[in-house]
Amino acid sequence: MGQITATLGKTIKEFLRQKTILFWTIAWPILWVLIGSFSFVENVPSEVVSYIRGAIAISMSVFALMTAGMANLPGNIAQDRERGLLSKLMSMPINPWRDFVGRILALLAFSSLAAILVTLVGYGCGARFSYSLIGLLQSIGFILLISLASAGIGMLIGTFIKHVHGAIMSGVGIAVVTAAISGVMTPYSSLPWLLQQFARIYPISSSSSSITFLLVGEDYAGYNPLSANQTTLTIVISLLLFIGGLVAYSRFCWRKE
Amino acid sequence: MDAITVEKLTKKYGDNEVLKGVNLKIAEGEFYALMGPNGSGKTTLASIIVSVRFPTSGKIEIYGKKPENAKELIGYVPQESFSSPILTGKENLMYFAGLLGYSKNTSEKTVNELLKKIELSEDANKRVSDYSGGMRKRLEVATALFPGIRILILDEPTTGLDPSARRKFLGLIQELRKERTTVLLITHIGADAELASRVGLIDEGKIIAEDEPERLKKVSGLRDVINIETAIKSEKVAKILGEFSEKKKVLETDVGYRVYCKDVEEATPEIVRSLDAIGCKATKIETEKPSLEDVFFKLTEKMVREVS
Repeated sequence: MGQITATLGKTIKEFLRQKTILFWTIAWPILWVLIGSFSFVENVPSEVVSYIRGAIAISMSVFALMTAGMANLPGNIAQDRERGLLSKLMSMPINPWRDFVGRILALLAFSSLAAILVTLVGYGCGARFSYSLIGLLQSIGFILLISLASAGIGMLIGTFIKHVHGAIMSGVGIAVVTAAISGVMTPYSSLPWLLQQFARIYPISSSSSSITFLLVGEDYAGYNPLSANQTTLTIVISLLLFIGGLVAYSRFCWRKE
Repeated sequence: MDAITVEKLTKKYGDNEVLKGVNLKIAEGEFYALMGPNGSGKTTLASIIVSVRFPTSGKIEIYGKKPENAKELIGYVPQESFSSPILTGKENLMYFAGLLGYSKNTSEKTVNELLKKIELSEDANKRVSDYSGGMRKRLEVATALFPGIRILILDEPTTGLDPSARRKFLGLIQELRKERTTVLLITHIGADAELASRVGLIDEGKIIAEDEPERLKKVSGLRDVINIETAIKSEKVAKILGEFSEKKKVLETDVGYRVYCKDVEEATPEIVRSLDAIGCKATKIETEKPSLEDVFFKLTEKMVREVS
């Protein structure tokens, strides 16, 4: 059993056993899928209802990924630092990079579980998707980008906000606010011009629109997020956020004074 | 061979010099206690030895190696409770076994042996959040007892434990001495330090005295100590008691004062009379042998522990 497996196992058990984490990452998005699937489809032509439900399921799956990266990960880092585990780890013959890989793998596994559960509930509520195999694979790529960007933001929060509750609440706050103003939880077309520009730059929103475009259709995404320029921008900013978070985490959390 | 060698160690945070040229040698198998008040630099010294902090200057060797190259030899138990409360005791130890590179089968065997050693086998599958403070501390010590670890460094391990848990915990540490594990105990509790084979007293970043506990007491020149519990504590009471104490020093305790007299039998009735005269009743008076906390007080005029 290696260091990566040990950290992966410990982190995922901690994610699965904390009620707050389960609530914000799984129960809350599912609740909104249930509410949205039945209350936002009144006076809507019956042939598009299932696609609107599909778009809602995707939005809330993205929100689950955001919460996992932006709140659960920094909460976990802050908790380990606050209770002295990072000091203990620094005294041991272990590699900080392996600790990092273990945490990220745990995050990806837990995020995927949350997203799958939210999507299944959406499906149960009547959400339907139209996709090709290529479209599905591309969507998985965008899901990965959302997880990486969220993890990057989460690592920045976990590095600079020392207290557990502060880190978790900051992450939840950033996830809720940015999801609301960037078109993740609201239709892109209903956003004012300035927020539409933000939605294109904010990689989580543009990835979310890309998934909606691929699995539900252009009308529900509001614009074409799969143009070469837009896709490049989405990939670059996602990776920059992830690398920024990684550098901050490795430099400040594991720094010897 | 020395397990730990520290020479002329300094540590500065800006203008604040926390360690001022500390020298320390701990032999293999020795139980050494470093005792001092909060802010004396003892935790900083431990964290430099375990390679969590850098020294500003000076030299440290662990069995002749630099600390960062000897991490596999040291088991460090920081002051905070670092075990995960939502994992079971066994899961916590399995996590550390994994970090140390044990295979699944070896982990299982080693962890079961460790649980037996710390007497937690029956509670192994309970979540740590259901453990008492003493059980949790024993579990955390077990993370520093994996095979191959030769030096155990414990930072304030008994703080917050009730007397029974504290005794059980110290019993475990005494057992480890039989296995020739070198122990460095960081503490501010004199009774804990008394168990060590050698004690270093640290104050303001310097080791001010170092010897076997009984020799430290003898060299300090302290004889009997009168422990007085009073109905009230005030400056006036302390001043009156000071008249009976060597160099007019009295140590304030949780429930009263400790007075350092040359002739206990002669001083005791006089103390009672003087306290009665100001309307302060001595509720309990007993004579004790001096403790390491008394020695520290004699040398520095400071208390090792804050009075609660």
